Formats: sequence, structure tokens, C-alpha cells
Amino acid sequence: MELWVLFGTFVFLLLIGTPVAFCLGISSFATVLYLGLPPVVVFQRLNSGVSVFALMAIPFFIYAGDLMVRGDIARRLVALAGGLVGHLRGGLGQVNVLASVMFGGVSGSAAADASAVGGLMVPQMKERGYDVDYAVNITVVGSIIALMIPPSHNMIIYSISAGGRISIADLFTAGIIPGLLLAVSLMVAAWFVARRRGYPTEPFPGFRALGGLLASAVPGLILVAIIFGGVRSGIFTASESSNIAVVYALLVTLLVYRTLSWNDFLEATFAAVRTTAMVLMVIGCAASFGWLLAYLRVPASMVALLQGFSDNPIVILLLLNVVLLILGTFMDMSPLIVITTPIFLPVATAFGIDPVHFGVILVLNLGIGLCTPPVGAVLFVGCAVGRIPISQAMKTIWPFYGAAFGTLMLVSYIPALSLWLPSVFR
Amino acid sequence: MQDSMKGLARFTGLLARAALWVAGTGLVLMTIFIAAQVFWRYILNDSLTWSEPASVMIMGWFIFLGAAVGIREGYHLSFDILLYVLPDRAKNWLHTLSDFAVAAFGGGMIWFGSSLADKTAGNMVPSLGISGAFDFIPIVGGGVLIVLFSAERVLRRIAGLPTARFGDAPLEE
Amino acid sequence: ADLVLRSSDTHPDGYPTVEAVKYMGKLLEERTNGRIGIEVFHSAQLGEEKDTIEQTQFGVIDLNRVSLGPFNNIIEETQVVSLPYIFRSVDHMHKVMDGPIGDEILAAFEAHDLIGLAFYDGGSRSFYNSEKPIKSVDDLKGMKFRVMQSDMFVDMVGALGANATPMPYGEVYSAIQTGVIDGAENNWPSYDSSGHFEVAKYYTLDEHLIVPEVLVMSKKTWDKLSPEDQAIVRQAAKDSVPHMRELWAAQEKKSEEKIRAAGVQIVNDIDKKPFIDAMKPVYEKHVTSAKLKDMVARIQATE
Ligand code: NA
Ligand code: NA
Repeated sequence: MELWVLFGTFVFLLLIGTPVAFCLGISSFATVLYLGLPPVVVFQRLNSGVSVFALMAIPFFIYAGDLMVRGDIARRLVALAGGLVGHLRGGLGQVNVLASVMFGGVSGSAAADASAVGGLMVPQMKERGYDVDYAVNITVVGSIIALMIPPSHNMIIYSISAGGRISIADLFTAGIIPGLLLAVSLMVAAWFVARRRGYPTEPFPGFRALGGLLASAVPGLILVAIIFGGVRSGIFTASESSNIAVVYALLVTLLVYRTLSWNDFLEATFAAVRTTAMVLMVIGCAASFGWLLAYLRVPASMVALLQGFSDNPIVILLLLNVVLLILGTFMDMSPLIVITTPIFLPVATAFGIDPVHFGVILVLNLGIGLCTPPVGAVLFVGCAVGRIPISQAMKTIWPFYGAAFGTLMLVSYIPALSLWLPSVFR
Repeated sequence: MQDSMKGLARFTGLLARAALWVAGTGLVLMTIFIAAQVFWRYILNDSLTWSEPASVMIMGWFIFLGAAVGIREGYHLSFDILLYVLPDRAKNWLHTLSDFAVAAFGGGMIWFGSSLADKTAGNMVPSLGISGAFDFIPIVGGGVLIVLFSAERVLRRIAGLPTARFGDAPLEE
Repeated sequence: ADLVLRSSDTHPDGYPTVEAVKYMGKLLEERTNGRIGIEVFHSAQLGEEKDTIEQTQFGVIDLNRVSLGPFNNIIEETQVVSLPYIFRSVDHMHKVMDGPIGDEILAAFEAHDLIGLAFYDGGSRSFYNSEKPIKSVDDLKGMKFRVMQSDMFVDMVGALGANATPMPYGEVYSAIQTGVIDGAENNWPSYDSSGHFEVAKYYTLDEHLIVPEVLVMSKKTWDKLSPEDQAIVRQAAKDSVPHMRELWAAQEKKSEEKIRAAGVQIVNDIDKKPFIDAMKPVYEKHVTSAKLKDMVARIQATE
């Protein structure tokens, strides 16, 4: 009955157009009242859900993106990328995916990645005649790459949730090939969609013009180098590098390009506040909702159901994937890793699935969940950046879901994709 | 009715503007604090222990204030599939019901946020040396604005004025 | 059982504290003929410690196994056991916590809507790093260590001549790997489970903190129990302690064997005196009230 109250209220509010964040919060509030629990817990979870230092990378990357867009850094970078690969079908879509590979290594967070890459690419793609939904779709699904390519905080959370029997170094290495495979699949999908929609290709500008584009984009390239090189060489953590991105974007636009007016600055700041507040409110309310799911033992019941179903590893792997995809639809990633790992990992290992392999499946699978409604932080960031309703993005996102799901199947059933690289490094 | 509503809207408009300014200032402060932390760690080879908890607390302020302004400006994300097929009258009733539910949640933020603040008032926040109640003041402040802005939406609708629809472009004054 | 007490733990299933509370639940079911039982929500399913403490105070959950660190800013008495080098050894800590000082600390919880039931082991924390074997205080000079967000630990590391860098636990692995910090500090099982031994290969057993953990009950739940049931709950909690200590010792041994096999260099013959002497300013800053000074003296006098 408690579950009916929780899900019933949630779905009802969703249908009458209540903002998603509040659907989650209000249905949790109603359920706690129904259970006779002290309702403080809902608001405490909301508060702690957003009071997480690691989340700070999200406002900073969004802010840096807003500053880069208004201060001309983004336009020059994308002009360069357009000069390089714009003559390919869906050129900026391909650049978008590659940007996720690059930023993915830096941010380690799909939501932060969606805000950084989306903030950079979506307005530029819009300007160059691409449909916004196409730009948002690629940005959203492309951000899953960030979860797979190291550093990945979610891999660390998985290892800790598994009781530490799994090497984090192995997990990091194991994510690289699946991450690149996902990138390739998305680029293929982007190519097909671009061909069907007949997006214009741009003429190759010639090497002289390319040189000019490169020169004018140098400060922006330095920013990428600072973020990427800083984290890789160990000078900065991800949160710090997102902050440096803001400071550097301010310095370049104020002192080098001198393109940022006081009004631009205010607009960028308010835009960043609006986007971040909207995204983090969803994350906070999802913390309340997730708390109730755990309190009502929903994940545990799902597993009991699964274990009584089959004894074939291939079927079990498929079932695990399906259950995780369903759970991922409703909940956010890190709480799900923490809750499902201790329950699902023993099932997986009992059927001979390597724990490192399972970790890669888990992170990729729940990464897809971040891009699916009703609860998908990355989808929300993407739609917020592109300023389109979720329903508009949903209509055309399917080829990209397909590419991600295909990659998930390949990664699930070909263990070597995950396990070969770690074995080389060991 | 419409005239007095417009007066009220001017007031709430100012309030929303003020909240955005506070939140924006918070974002800038956060940027400065973490930049200072980086500077201290790498240039001065020392640690700032207060910058991280202070920034997290500020983040609470700008999220809850920003979320409240989002109620007024309608920039929260939502689904509008069912509403497309309904007649305007039914749509209005459902919007109003939704606004009441949001207001109730805002009320919960005020009431239960206060009781959390009250319970933790005697604790000290590590590294900041201030009362633990400060952790929960943003949620109370955001709750107050959410109730106000939800009420404004309902009153506007009664007065026959447009309200910003969630998922749409912001309402122009 | 008719009454299932919900208990929170941030550790994963199978961890000694989780198993100890399950064991306590078994004892309770036996002793109440199945009227009272316990369900453990492990792996921080219900939130991190700071949050579950508030949930316990409000009666949202019934039982909670937590570290004493989060209580330091709430309950003065708990600060004493978080002082660096306050306990000479794990045995010394057991003697103190099993005795009147332990009871005094447990009693202090009641003023905060909590009932202190029992102390569990939290292991002894020592420094590990990726740079060099640390054999003296001088070796620590200028190095960067991650510590928990607490003034006392920051001051402790500072007093040893090193730099304290508070950062989230999940970031520590890559921070060591990439050289953002030189190391961190923890006990054997966490050094193992976090995988930090893969990137920080030098472990110096200075045992600067031997901090027990505590099992508390919500006062709201407690007040609903009859005096007889209260006594049964208290006794079952006490009886789970020896079981927990056995599990903990086994866990420590297992982790130590794994870490040694991984080729980690362990320094276990340092002279602790200079480390302890360096703590003078830390004690001066943090042990200020007469109550704390008296407790420190009594702990040091405990044989
Ligand atoms: Na990454
Ligand atoms: Na989802």
C-alpha cells in the first residue's frame, strides 16, 4: 500500500504537469505522512542530497559554459572544430561526441559533462542550423561516455560498495574500451540521423583559414588543456578544475577577448543559477524518493523476484540489465550503485560473471538510466541547456538510446571488451 | 481584481529579482572560495579548511532560492502530455491543484526545515564554528518563497492573468 | 517479529559492525520469544552518519551504528576519545570503554534524544603514503595528507609538521594516484577496502587514533519499550560486543595479510614518544573544559 501511495502520487502529479523535482518531493512527503513517520526525514534528505561537495562541479561547469558562450570562447572553439570536421556529415554532432570523450576524462560526472559539453555545443549547433533536439540528444547520451572513461567516481563507489574486493585500478582501465565503443556507436547514430535529416555540410575552409581559426581559438584550447592536463597530471581534482574553468573563462573574456560586458556577466550568472537550481532540486528531491525506496525495501524485493526466475547466466545477465534499466529509470546513479551492488554482485558472481566486468555493466547501464525519464539528471541538464521540453527531446532520442543499448549488450556479452585491457596492464 | 493582482505581481517580481541576486552572489562567492582554496593549496602550500563547508552551505542557498524563483518563472522541467488533450477549464483546475501541492511542499520546507534547524541549533558546524541551524535556514527561506510564488500563480489564474507554464520560455512581464 | 527495529550502518553487508547488530537482533528474538527483532540497513542506504543521527533523534529509525566523530560537535564527552594518541593500545581502549568512563560517555547521549547502548571497535588509524617509509616525525614534514573534515584532525596533522587536506573519501584514491596528496590515514580494513594500498605503498603503524564506534537507540523508540524490554535490549547490545571484537580481529587479520601480500612496506617499530610530544598544542587547544581535562587524566591513569 505504501508503494501505491508513493508511485500513485508521483505519477498523478507528473501527469498534471507538476515540475519533476516536486513530483518526487511531494510523493515522498505524502508517503511519509501515510506511514506516520516524522516528515522531517523528507526535508533532511532533500537538504543533504544537495549539500554534497562533489556536486559543486555541476554549477561550476554550467557557469563556465555560460561564460564561454557569452564571452565568445565557445564560438571560436566550435568554429575551429567546424573547420576541421564540419565537412563530414553531421560534423558538429561528431565533434560533440568527441568533446564528451575529452571532457569525460576530466569531469568524471555525466551531469557535469552534459552541462559543460552542452553549454558549449548546443547553442553553436543551433546557430549552424542543426535542430535543438538533435543537439540535446547527442549531448545527453554522449555524457554516458564520461562515466566510462577514467576518472570515474562511480567506479570507486562501486568498488567500495562491493566491500573492496575489486581493484579500482582495474575498474578504471576496464571502462576505457567500452567508453570508446560507446563513442563510436554514437557517432555512427549521429551520422545516420544527420543523413536522414539532410543537415548541411560545410565546405572545407582551406588550411590558411584553418590557421586563422586555430589562432583565435588558442585561449579556449588552453582552457581545455588546463582542465584535461591538470587532472591527468594530478595538479587539480575534478571539483577544483571546474572552478578553475570558471576563473579562467572570466579572465579570458574580460582581459584577452574583452567581449564580456557587465550585462553579459549578470546574464551568465543568472542563467547558471536557474539551470543549476533546477537540476540540483531534482537531485535533492530524488534523494528523498530514493530514501523511501530503500526504507520500503524495493530494491531487495526486485532481487528476490529475479533470483526465482532462472539459472542461466545469459538470461540472468539480461534480467539484471532489465531490472537495472527499470530501477535506473526512477532513481539516480550513486544511490542505486550503493543499494544494488551488495545484492546483485553475489548473484552475478554466482553465475560466473567477473566482478570487474559486472562493475562496467552496472555503470554503463545506470548511465543510460541517467538519460531516461522520469528521473534522469543528465536528460534534465541537456533539456535545460537546450531550453526544450523533455517531450521534444524524447521524440527523437531513440536512435541514440539504441546505440547506447547496443553497446550495453556488446559489453554485457563480450567480457573481453572490459577485461582485456586490465589484463594487459596487470 | 486584475489591478491589485498587478500590484502584487510587481512586489513578487521584485522579490524574485532579489532572490536571484542573492543566489547569483552566492555562486560568485562559491567561485571565489574554491579558487582561494586552490590558491592556498598550490601556491601557499597550505589548506583552507573553511572554504569547502562554506561553499556547500552557499550552494544550499542558491539552489533553494533558485528553485523557488523557478516556480514563478516556470523554468522547472515537467511533463505536459496529458494536459495537451484536456479542455482549458480542466487544465486550469489541474494547474491549480498542482500549485497547491507545490505550496504544501513549500510549507513542509518551512515547518520541518525549522524543526531541523531548531534540533541542530546547539551543534557546531565543523571548521566554520557556526550553529548547525545554518545548515537548514536555506531550506526554510526557499520554502517561504515557494509558498508565496505558488499562491501568486493561483491568484493570477483566478484573476484571469497568464502564468508561466513549466517547460516553456520564461514569462515576460 | 512483531516489532522490527530499523538499524542503520554505513558499512557494507558482512562488515563486523553490520554482523554484530544482526547478531544482537538474533539475541533479541531469542530473549523476547520473537517479539522484537532488528533489520540492518547497511551500506548507507538510509544516509550518511550525520543524517542518520538526526533521523535517529527524530525517531525515523530506531537504531544506529555510528562513529563518534560526528558527535564531537554535539556531545562534549565524545571528544575525549577522538584525541590523538589518547589510548596507548587497543587493550587500553577496551579497558577504558568497558569501565566507568565508557558508561559516562554513553549516559551523555540521553540529553540529545539518544540512548547509548554499546561501544564497538573502529580499529586504529595510521598514516599511509605514496612517497617514502615514514619512521620519524621529521619524515612527515611538508607532506600532504587527507583527513576527515574535523578541526582536531587538521590540527593533529599540522602539529606533526604535515599539511592536512580535507577531501571527500571517494576522491582520495585518484588524488593519491595523481599526486594531489601524498597519502591519507586509516585502519587496516579501510586501507584494504578503499584500494588505497594499491597507490600508497608505505604504511606506518603510529596508531594516532584508536576511536571506538557506538551503537545508539532513538529515545523515542526506547520510551515505547517496557522497562523489562529496555533491559533486554541493553543486555543484548552489550552481549554483541565480544562477538563484534572477534569479527573485527578476524577482518583486520585478513586485510593485513592481503595488504602484506600486495607488497606494501609496513613500518611498525617507530618511537611513538616524539609523535605524542608533538600533540601538546593540540591538547591545549581542544581540551579546555575542566570536565575534559579530568577525563583525559583518568584515561591516562587507567592501566
Ligand atoms: Na570520467
Ligand atoms: Na532515469
